[in-house]
Amino acid sequence: MSRQPAAASSSVISFVDVVQRFRVIQERPDTLREAFARFHRRRVSYHDFDAVKHVSFEVEHGSTLGLIGRNGSGKSTILKIIAGVYRPSAGQVTVRGTVAPLIELGAGFHHELTGRENILINGLLLGLTRREILEREQSIIDFAEIGEFIDSPVKQYSSGMYMRLAFSVATEVDPDILLIDEILAVGDAGFREKCDQRIRSFRERGKTMIMVSHDMEMVGKLCDRVLLINKGELLEDGPPEYVIARYKNLVEHPSSVPVAQQG
Amino acid sequence: MFELTRDIYDYRELIWALAMKELRVRYKRSVLGFVWALLNPLLMMIVLTLVFGTIMRFSIDHYAIFLLSMLLPWTFFTQALTYSVESVVGNADLLKKVHIAKVVFPVAAVVSNIVNFLLSLIPLALLVLVLRFPLHWTWIYLPVPMLGLFLFTLGSSLFLAAINVFFRDISHIIQIILSAWFYFSPIIYSLDFIPAKHRWLFKLNPMLYVLNGFRLSIYYGLLPQFTSVAMSLACGVAAVLIGYGVFRRYQESFVFYV
Repeated sequence: MSRQPAAASSSVISFVDVVQRFRVIQERPDTLREAFARFHRRRVSYHDFDAVKHVSFEVEHGSTLGLIGRNGSGKSTILKIIAGVYRPSAGQVTVRGTVAPLIELGAGFHHELTGRENILINGLLLGLTRREILEREQSIIDFAEIGEFIDSPVKQYSSGMYMRLAFSVATEVDPDILLIDEILAVGDAGFREKCDQRIRSFRERGKTMIMVSHDMEMVGKLCDRVLLINKGELLEDGPPEYVIARYKNLVEHPSSVPVAQQG
Repeated sequence: MFELTRDIYDYRELIWALAMKELRVRYKRSVLGFVWALLNPLLMMIVLTLVFGTIMRFSIDHYAIFLLSMLLPWTFFTQALTYSVESVVGNADLLKKVHIAKVVFPVAAVVSNIVNFLLSLIPLALLVLVLRFPLHWTWIYLPVPMLGLFLFTLGSSLFLAAINVFFRDISHIIQIILSAWFYFSPIIYSLDFIPAKHRWLFKLNPMLYVLNGFRLSIYYGLLPQFTSVAMSLACGVAAVLIGYGVFRRYQESFVFYV
């Protein structure tokens, strides 16, 4: 995979014939004893599973792309390839600019540490420098509406406060490309409105967003273009209304999916 | 080596924050907090001095200083390994979500224990003064054996953190290996106690060279010979080359196994 600085070129993400293969090992040798036993018998039982099969697409600078599909279709895997967590098994992936994942908020939070300490660590994990974080600290705290609790350990936070803080840190990173994995159901109605606003301002400032969601109303509202993924294959690529209709059809009549799609 | 240095430099702020997090979590909710970093080696020393100085009656002058000069670096080594062996597996959540150099986790584990180790030298210096033992000028030479020790520990940590991803047995075995290694190293005793005909066996132990400089400069007030220094640094560099080699070879697959 090549990672390059943001360029003037209009395409910021490009997937060419990307395959992500997982080796699913039955009874993976997790301990030395099993490894020796397996070595001895010279038998390894595994099968390969392609979570993403020969997917190609490009994302234009400044656009908002939606990824939809049923559970286990490979949407999140695609997001993780863009984030650089997985190195694809085959194909060419190019990502231009900084990427920040909003994948499962608060993954980097430590329960014993205070909100303020967690802002620092989470910001560093997402690629900010210490100075940048300190500059943004107050606006992160304000946006998350944490108030005086910011110096309490996050284990004492309500789940809403926890999510708000995580969302606030991730979006304050201000990356070129923001990856959103099904997280916008954060907080109460008031906070959701703020989140929507922030997402919209992201768009207005010409940032690129990729979102995975099952909330078709939101996908229709926010996305310029939608990809429908099914069993690791790219089934449809087009304007939201059309692709969402295809998806609804797919969910209602699973058998009607054309099997020989690739090639 | 170059890649490792660059990653450590690029991620220095994150490594430092993670190391501080580890220390903070370690001492949080304890009344004495950071004081434990100072108190722990002192209490351990009292126990060991009682056992080996009073009951076993080793005829070594100022046994406490003799012992501590090697026990403190050894304790650092074992604690750093204990923390780093779990460092990649323990951060599985993060590895699966963000793209960062994976070396930051074992490196942060080593760094947090370096801080702990440096703090533990304070009670040692105090003890030296209290016991009216000479505070040798050779203390200023300590950064040299430290470099060997830190490199050796870093290499071992990277190696263990990597293979523990694939074989979780490592975290169970490591404590037993370390305690055997402890008695095999001349920490509570001196190499002179070993009959000459067996001494070659003890000289195969890299820890001998890594720890040697500490006792020489703290207890004996001597500078080690050039060959001894070279051996200690060579052990450190070799450990990093092997440890990082293994780590780098397998780091792309970590995410599939954690």
